[in-house]
Amino acid sequence: MSVAAIPVRLYRSIYEPFIIIRRNRRAFIGLIILGIFALMATVGPEVVPLDTTQRFDKRFQWPSLEHPLGTDHVGRDTFQQIVHGSRDVLLTAFLAAVFTTGIAITIGMLAGLQGGTVDALLMLLTNVILTVPNFPVMMIIASVWKVKDPVSLGVLLSVWTWGGLARAIRSQILSLKEREFIEAARALGLSTFHIVFRELLPNVMPYVAINFFSLMRGAITASVGLMFLGLVPFKSTNWGMMLNLAAWQAGAIYVPKALFYFGSPMACIILFQLGAFFFASGLDEVVNPRLRT
Amino acid sequence: MIPLLSIRDLVVEFDLARGALRAVNRASLDVQPGEVMAVVGESGSGKSTLAFSILNLVPPPGKIVNGEILFDSKDVLSLSEEELRKYRWKEVAMVFQAAQNAMNPVMRIADQMIDTAQAHGKLSRGEVLEKASELLRMVRLEPSQVLHSYPHELSGGMRQRVIIVLSLLLDPKMLILDEPTTALDVVTQAYILDILAEIRQKLGLTMMLLTHDMSIVAKIADRVTVMYAGKIMEVGRIEEIFYDAKHPYTVGLINAAPSLVGDIADKKPIPGSPPNLLNPPPGCPFHPRCAYATDRCREEEPELKEIGDGRLVACHNWWLIG
Amino acid sequence: MLAIVKRVGIALITLFIVMTLTFLLIHKVPGDPLYMWAVELAQEYGMRIEEAYEEVKVMYGYDPNEPLSRQYINYIKGLLRGNLGTSMIYRMSVNKILVKALPWTVFVLSVSLLTSFVVGMLMGMVIAWKRKTALDPIVTAYAAFTGATPDYITALALLIIFAANLKLLPMKGAYDSALTPGFNWPFIKSVLHHAVLPISAYVFENTAAWAMAMKGSAVSVLGEDYIMAARARGLKERRIMVFYMGRNAVLPLVTSLAIALGVMLGGATFIETIFAYPGIGWFFGQATTRMDFGLMQGLFLMTAAATIFSNLLADILYSRLDPRIKLAE
Repeated sequence: MSVAAIPVRLYRSIYEPFIIIRRNRRAFIGLIILGIFALMATVGPEVVPLDTTQRFDKRFQWPSLEHPLGTDHVGRDTFQQIVHGSRDVLLTAFLAAVFTTGIAITIGMLAGLQGGTVDALLMLLTNVILTVPNFPVMMIIASVWKVKDPVSLGVLLSVWTWGGLARAIRSQILSLKEREFIEAARALGLSTFHIVFRELLPNVMPYVAINFFSLMRGAITASVGLMFLGLVPFKSTNWGMMLNLAAWQAGAIYVPKALFYFGSPMACIILFQLGAFFFASGLDEVVNPRLRT
Repeated sequence: MIPLLSIRDLVVEFDLARGALRAVNRASLDVQPGEVMAVVGESGSGKSTLAFSILNLVPPPGKIVNGEILFDSKDVLSLSEEELRKYRWKEVAMVFQAAQNAMNPVMRIADQMIDTAQAHGKLSRGEVLEKASELLRMVRLEPSQVLHSYPHELSGGMRQRVIIVLSLLLDPKMLILDEPTTALDVVTQAYILDILAEIRQKLGLTMMLLTHDMSIVAKIADRVTVMYAGKIMEVGRIEEIFYDAKHPYTVGLINAAPSLVGDIADKKPIPGSPPNLLNPPPGCPFHPRCAYATDRCREEEPELKEIGDGRLVACHNWWLIG
Repeated sequence: MLAIVKRVGIALITLFIVMTLTFLLIHKVPGDPLYMWAVELAQEYGMRIEEAYEEVKVMYGYDPNEPLSRQYINYIKGLLRGNLGTSMIYRMSVNKILVKALPWTVFVLSVSLLTSFVVGMLMGMVIAWKRKTALDPIVTAYAAFTGATPDYITALALLIIFAANLKLLPMKGAYDSALTPGFNWPFIKSVLHHAVLPISAYVFENTAAWAMAMKGSAVSVLGEDYIMAARARGLKERRIMVFYMGRNAVLPLVTSLAIALGVMLGGATFIETIFAYPGIGWFFGQATTRMDFGLMQGLFLMTAAATIFSNLLADILYSRLDPRIKLAE
């Protein structure tokens, strides 16, 4: 199928970015890594079985054909746990990013468009959110409200993280407000709704998209951290819980053979973060043509 | 007389992604001791690059590809790193274009003076500041006011004068000034020119003045070099250039400068625009805009020829002009 | 002057909002936390529940049955008197716990922070100055790796490798509990010995970030006219790198450093928990996992206050350091 056959809009939003990412080696690797994790989270748990029987004679085994990543402290297969845990981990991160973005866009746009007292109050609130470090806040909330599922965890993770994005969106709105096409739209009598959703939002979206990955990365670090501290008791297959068990309960730190048990969630976390980071920098190139070599 | 500065066949190229850009194209030039040589040309003519070459400070991606620069009989382009460092400022100093940013914003003026002096020899703080104060007074600045200040605390004109003082600090043999008055208002311009004339007289300094403003040239220069598209087109004494120019570009420049008397509508700008140096036209670079262009001009690049005592022209049809 | 006053005002308002939010958060806890502690107290001392409950009310300093507004006023009054609350686990005032924990946190974190800042800054400066060294890709890769690794993973890895398995360094504590604290050499040696891993974990994790920040700042400074002008004046390369590029490039980083010093007072929860190092972060971790709301609240407020004011100081400091900047009104 020749390139000319693809309609322009589709070309610009899918094909061209893909080519740019493809050319940038780091970004392409990032895309592949993210793809693998996405596959693991969606299809994985359906394809890979989860055997939770405890077999003490099989604890902390080296990787083998039967157990590609070895076993944990009660003889369960590590690889299975990783695959099954990935769904919750990634879902939580995704939800957290979505909620954070939602709150940030709402507040940023309100502040930018309304101006005046509304703006001042919202910026004061944002200032509080930004100044006070967010992890201690999340620890307190987790302590006070027991969180049991990915959705609530996603909400918890987004409560104190929308500050930076809100401020950035507000600045963009402020500068866009002055531009002629908004004046033109108003002059044409287009409704505020139209202006917001058809003119302003699309201009803000590229930045939001890149930021989305940073938010996911932050959410994973935070959620795993909370689980590691024992503040969010989730299923034991969740990577964070695996680390928690490995460090505090399984005595895994003393057993060299347990390397794969605590190493696997660690490696997965690091890989995901790297993948997201590389891919996001590629997205940056898509959005900022000046960065392309 | 042996020239103080002698440039021969200098070629400077910029290695850009889009191709190689020749900023200076086989330039040859002599500056005699004690004279003020004005190098005239529009932006992009290569005069700044030429000046940087004299200090061997062409910023990357630029490179001196060919040529010879002799200063006081020293081969500048073959000096070692350390010799080059000592040569810079002590022999030749430069006042940059838009010199407002030429000073470190977090250091006081006095400290920057001391830094400069101590990089070249063992002078005490006191000695340096005394010399600096003397020079500051020469440019009509009050030392006690200026030395303890930070650069941003001074006005544009004051900073320009401080830069001039910095350049004179080590008693250089030659001073290069790149558009010394462009960023300033007309009144300050005149002021700076006065000061330059005074300095030249008191210190017997050799100066190379780069500018596109013919009126400045008229006020202060002894000889003039005209550059276009990286190539030297004409060289001569100031009267010769102003009253008997032999290159069509020079003629155009002089006619284009607005005069105080007469109608502004009389101004005759040179038609057309400067060439794209990535892809210059064959033959003489000026031919697309030249009223006297012939077929030969379109094919053969004219050489810089000596037509009189120190009088040089690069034009096939020079005898037709004037 | 007005600018400073305005900023102090905003800082105080922010602090007040935080105090209120903390109050609301902790006092709106589902269930009755006092009851839980009362039960524990009763079991331990063999009291009746009602008695224990009264004890706990006194210790905590509030009565959940009082109207919220009354509780709030008592709370604010207590704070203004400098009383940060009482810890239920340790049965002592939060202030006392702070006195015990603060020195350890400040010790480890200030050494870590300053080391990682200085090393990172020097690395960044050198990489930016010498444009094509072998060091550049190494540092960039190191930065990407440590950026992707959360700090608890680094700390955990160090604990596993050096303490648990190689047994080179101690697993936990600030010092060997068998020793008597004081200015004796065995004690000091033990303290240093126990501080190596926590400090290493922090420095390993954070140095690259400072290096990249400095590199970014330095590269933009390099494009300025005064760097080329300094070269034209024949100044020595090293002098230009340090005093012309370095001094200008480090300015934005100093603000970050000041803020980081303030955040430091909140303790490094992960590093301290993993190495069982009894600093503020460790106590805060204990408070949250064991639901000691008094301790949680007190430590959190202290952290928040420290962060708010270090932000304020950093703002003012920057305007002093860079002679070009005047505080925006």
